Amino acid sequence: MHIRSLLPVLLGLWTLSASAQQNVPVNGPHDRAEVLVAFTRATVHTSPGVELTDATVLVRGDRILDVGKRVRIPAGTQVHDLSGLHLWPGLVEPFSNLGVAARERSKIKEPVGANYWNRAITASTQASELYAPDEKREKALRDQGFTTAVVQRMDGIARGTGCAVSLSGREPAQDIFLPLASANFSFSKGSSPDDYPNSLMGAIAVLRQALYDARWYAAGGNKEQSDADLAALGQQLDLPLVFDAGNAENGLRAARIGKEFGLHFILRNTGDAYTRLADILATGSPLIVPLALPDAYDVEDPFDAMEVTLGQLKDWELAPSNPARIAEAGGLFAFTTQGLKNPADMWPALRRMVRNGLDSATAIAALTTVPAALFRMDDQVGTLEPGKRADLIITSKHLLDAENVIHETWVSGKQHVQKPRYLEDPRGTFDLNLRTIILKLRVKGSLEKLEAHVRTPGTDTAWVKAVLKIDGPVVSLWFDNKKLGFSGPVRLNGVIHDRGAIWDGQGQGPAGEWFAWSAIRQRGNGRGDQEIRRAVAVLDSIWSLPAGEVWYPMNAFGTTQLPDTETVIFRNATVWTNGPQGILRNADVCISKGRILAVGPKLDIAELFPKSKTTVPEIDAAGMHLTSGIIDEHSHIAIARGVNEGTQAVTSEVRIGDVIAPDDINIHNALAGGVTAVQQLHGSANPIGGQSSLIKLRWGRGADGLPIQGAQGTIKFALGENVKRSNWGSNDRFPQTRMGVEQVFYDAFHRAKDYATEQALYAALKPKEKAATTPPRRDLELDALVEILAGTRNITCHSYVQSEILMLMHVADSMGFHVNTFTHVLEGYKVARELKRHGAHVSTFSDWWAYKFEVNDAIPYNAAIMQEQGLNVCINSDDAEMGRRLNQEAAKAIKYGGVAPEDAWKMVTLNPAKALHLESRMGSVEPGRDADLVLWNDDPLSIRAKVMMTFIDGARYYDRRRELDQRMLAEAERARITAKMLAAKQAGAAVRKAQRQEPEQWHCETIGDLP
Amino acid sequence: MRTVALLIGIGLAACVAAQRPSPAPAQSRSILVKGGMVHVGDGRTFADGAVGFRNGLIDFVGYEYAVKSVYDTVIDAKGMRIYPGFILPDATLGLVEIDAVRATVDQQETGRMEPEVRTLSAYNADSRIIPTVRSNGVLLAQITPRGNVISGTSGIVQLDAWNNDDAVVHADDGIHLNWPVAFARTGWWAERGTTEKEGNAKREKALADIRAFFLRAKAYAALPAPEKIDLRLEAMRGLFMGEKSLYVHADGAREIQEAVLFVREMDVRHMVIVGGQDAWRVADLLRDKKVDVILQRIHSLPQREDEDVDLPYRMPALLKERGVRFCLGYSGDMERMGARNLGFLAGTASTYGLSVEDALRSITLDAAAILGIDDRYGSLEPGKSATLFISTGDALDMRTNMVTEAFIDGRHISMDNRQKALWRQYERRYGR
Repeated sequence: MHIRSLLPVLLGLWTLSASAQQNVPVNGPHDRAEVLVAFTRATVHTSPGVELTDATVLVRGDRILDVGKRVRIPAGTQVHDLSGLHLWPGLVEPFSNLGVAARERSKIKEPVGANYWNRAITASTQASELYAPDEKREKALRDQGFTTAVVQRMDGIARGTGCAVSLSGREPAQDIFLPLASANFSFSKGSSPDDYPNSLMGAIAVLRQALYDARWYAAGGNKEQSDADLAALGQQLDLPLVFDAGNAENGLRAARIGKEFGLHFILRNTGDAYTRLADILATGSPLIVPLALPDAYDVEDPFDAMEVTLGQLKDWELAPSNPARIAEAGGLFAFTTQGLKNPADMWPALRRMVRNGLDSATAIAALTTVPAALFRMDDQVGTLEPGKRADLIITSKHLLDAENVIHETWVSGKQHVQKPRYLEDPRGTFDLNLRTIILKLRVKGSLEKLEAHVRTPGTDTAWVKAVLKIDGPVVSLWFDNKKLGFSGPVRLNGVIHDRGAIWDGQGQGPAGEWFAWSAIRQRGNGRGDQEIRRAVAVLDSIWSLPAGEVWYPMNAFGTTQLPDTETVIFRNATVWTNGPQGILRNADVCISKGRILAVGPKLDIAELFPKSKTTVPEIDAAGMHLTSGIIDEHSHIAIARGVNEGTQAVTSEVRIGDVIAPDDINIHNALAGGVTAVQQLHGSANPIGGQSSLIKLRWGRGADGLPIQGAQGTIKFALGENVKRSNWGSNDRFPQTRMGVEQVFYDAFHRAKDYATEQALYAALKPKEKAATTPPRRDLELDALVEILAGTRNITCHSYVQSEILMLMHVADSMGFHVNTFTHVLEGYKVARELKRHGAHVSTFSDWWAYKFEVNDAIPYNAAIMQEQGLNVCINSDDAEMGRRLNQEAAKAIKYGGVAPEDAWKMVTLNPAKALHLESRMGSVEPGRDADLVLWNDDPLSIRAKVMMTFIDGARYYDRRRELDQRMLAEAERARITAKMLAAKQAGAAVRKAQRQEPEQWHCETIGDLP
Repeated sequence: MRTVALLIGIGLAACVAAQRPSPAPAQSRSILVKGGMVHVGDGRTFADGAVGFRNGLIDFVGYEYAVKSVYDTVIDAKGMRIYPGFILPDATLGLVEIDAVRATVDQQETGRMEPEVRTLSAYNADSRIIPTVRSNGVLLAQITPRGNVISGTSGIVQLDAWNNDDAVVHADDGIHLNWPVAFARTGWWAERGTTEKEGNAKREKALADIRAFFLRAKAYAALPAPEKIDLRLEAMRGLFMGEKSLYVHADGAREIQEAVLFVREMDVRHMVIVGGQDAWRVADLLRDKKVDVILQRIHSLPQREDEDVDLPYRMPALLKERGVRFCLGYSGDMERMGARNLGFLAGTASTYGLSVEDALRSITLDAAAILGIDDRYGSLEPGKSATLFISTGDALDMRTNMVTEAFIDGRHISMDNRQKALWRQYERRYGR
């Protein structure tokens, strides 16, 4: 056996390392004897799936000396006979804050020390310097067999390094065996007292900036300033990198950052990886997945059940299959107990996962070898092999067996007893002899929670509860019932012998008299276990019932089958072309390969597809209207965790594109209203907001499947009451007036120009000069502004009154940029000529006013007047509800100001396409355009109009007739899972109360607060 | 008999900068509107119909050929439509002028049980929003307080008045109770909390408080002349006498069920559920207990993510099918400036299962009946108030809702408003 041949070498190493730890002063004589410990005759599980029966493990000090079936046991070895028992490698917890508390939230406004300006970046934190043993939590982990934990301070966005700790309960200097085990990150700012960031996109921006700053610092920036966090960040990136991502979407966001910087993150996930499994595994990231599973909901009352979403029901059912799905798809994962109320709950959860297809060896690997390898400590922990740490678990059965008992956990060679091995099962029915009286004693229940009852024999008398305590072999029992013939309590103390069959000792009666007692087992312990086994079997059978499929997304309108691009002809429709042909009656439209192929009367298939003889499906659109899809120029749907990074006056570094929420139900709502594309705008809380995102509403696809490829960059600006915080927030942030707003723009663009010059100068240096020069610091905020100056990023500016509209146009003219679109622009009618001169597009509400002072002069004739003055006018929603009725909003332009119907319709289709510079691809029904089409039952501007179908790129994302089938499918799914949940509750599964989940609706002014 | 052409803004151009057009004087000359499609409000229509009225009261409704009497003025409405004035329930018109300017906000008193506060004492008949709402055919409104457990007492007004007193149609028509929501949500909106226990305890307390308050009020109402006047309980008295309605604002099925059982136990004579998003789910109970519903703005998103996208649009049809009487409300965000879209809510209801005339009824006759003013308003019937308007086309459709003339109690009211004035002003800037 090759393990043996290594032995002398390892022995030598071990002796050296052991003596290196002798610097801790000892109070009293030193324990100098090095007694070997042998575990014999055990079933030894050396590594996942490898099992040696009747084998021995030999331990010296804190190391394993030998493992095998024929291990020679030297004289003077302490031998533990583990006949019938199992021996496992200690488990590894990869994600813990054990012993490392978060900071108190500082009240100090100003930073302390040479650290990063933003206190969510605390990369210089080292868990190994902060680790304070927490015996209670260590024991809780150890009781479940954990012997090692990788701990970190879970506080902030860059959290610093984590260390690997042995859970032996010794001094930190002895227990921390790997001081630099990981570097850690998250999207949560933790205890940082800084306002920034207060949105998810802000958290992403600050991390990206810090990573760029760390590069710059290493490349010479350190000569210009001192920063412990940047220094540390630069040095820790070749450690294993853990990203506490949370849900699947955030995992993908973290992986995108990783890709930008060439970093490979281990993603800590909340157990929903299965919802976007292919996307997540495509990033190549290993995962840390929770052992915690969602509880069932209380669905007995249908009114309660109504508040549980189908997504929650499905998650309850499918989350246990998450590990199996990851494994099956070739992903690598480790388990964490983080999130479990009680670490002991991991075992039922694991068994449920196994019932859902998880291989038990994979499960054990995720608790041992995988985390050991991920944190590069597989030379020390994870398996039972010579030279590794003497971390082992002694159990009664297989770890995943429902009746398994963890007897002992040995950590670094130190024994911790949970359930004594010698303790025999005390359950059964006994004759209890109390001096002259004989009673019946019954002990049942689980070994963790024994229940004892007594009664008088031979009659039908009821069982009376007794209080039983067993501590090792020592037992104490008391009961009090006058019916049994006693005048008060009887208290007994004794010892358990003979494998639990005989108990005896001294007792004290009601009058204080002492006597000898004994209990002799009459019947075995079979029944108690049977009950438990039955309960486990019932739950197991429920967990083994077939589960539903993953829907994309996981709600009532999700699908298992994403729509494909169709080739189809719409026959005899009224076609609103938005082109030179105007409105065509009785016309046909053919789409193919995601584009519009032909538009006209009586299209001939043979002409359109001359080479193939395929039959093209037709849609009879007689009496119906076919239009291009609605484009919402101003939307805040499908954005995750915050639409405003309103904490600073200028936040051009944040990007809505980083936080696209593809599962937002509002996407489906909008599709049902004929919307095919939206501009996702940052909010309006600051003068220079974040970069916007242009998406098509490809429902069911992941976040990467939504953006409109090749679209120009966009950014949100804002003016007026919101940016000067008239109606909320503190009144000490600059600007507080429209005067200040103007200066914010000048300041920003002057800085951007200087920055561009600096970058250009550096770029122009000769290679030799470059090497000798510190490169200018890359600034994500100014990068975006430079793009505006270069004309590659288009501004959409939230605006209301004429003064501020003119102001921004003056600033733009003098600083050399252009304002692409004024949005809202409710006083646009007052300055229509000036807007026309600047060449701005305008995008307004149909009829909103009077909600703020600055919209006091807003009029519903605004769109009509601006249109008359030759402006390109869009009508937008800024609101998820209105966003699905934009056809009605467009129709109001007819009522207010008499706009021609065709022109009114363009205000929600072609005109926004123009404002977004997408008119060559969208906004009209003409050959070559994207097949983004909507079929209506009636004139789309009519109050009677209903959307029948919505196509994007030729794929049908909404079909009114199919909705009915979908509704039935969803109801059936709901009913099936509800029945399962009711059965699980009956079988003893934990439940929680249902709570209404109101869908999130965001507007310009919604301010978040990042935790 | 003299026929006048339609007057669009004639005589109004002179008062261009008008903040608010002058209220119209009482009807002095009898008027006949003829030739258009008459929508009675109760489901009937008369093509080529006519409506005649004098001294503020209707004296003829029917086909034009059946007109017998002579009228001083005849308005030719050929090709147009004639409707009873739309009625806006559960509204805050005149209580708030600009949301963001606190000094203009008068909709919620501080406290918990405040039935004694009356909207009619705060109602601003001069609100510049009102004429814009009127311009789309909304001629009557129930002015309703907001917030607290009991928000206060509402009153019903007509929308063309010199002052508060002048506006009143039905003073102090009802008390508004906000039923505590069953599914209290904790945490902030992006990170939901789960301490439902705390929420439940609060709710239990709120329900107990409501019960205790109503029991006290009921006992007090039995005293014809209490020794000490208690303002709160005095305000509640009318509920038990049948003089006031109780408007319970509740959306969830559980809340509606609880509220109906509670209110019936308390012997309150007339009860209305306001909001009622789940009303269709407990329709049998509502129908059996004769509880009316003011349905929340149906231009809303579904309240639960799994519900059908068009469920809010279909709610009127669902209630109709199940025999529950209802009318349409517009409360919520932008409720004052948006109230001019009331007709389009009815339009949507007619697209999603309701007949056009039933949809109209839900903002006219049934609204009047639920608010207790159907003896005078809500439909075009002889003996009722001449509160009506003429639209060039379908008033339930955005494209064709063009109100040319409107009358309240026979008074020929102005259709001008501040927004039209600004429109004219800037059309001049651009030389049109």
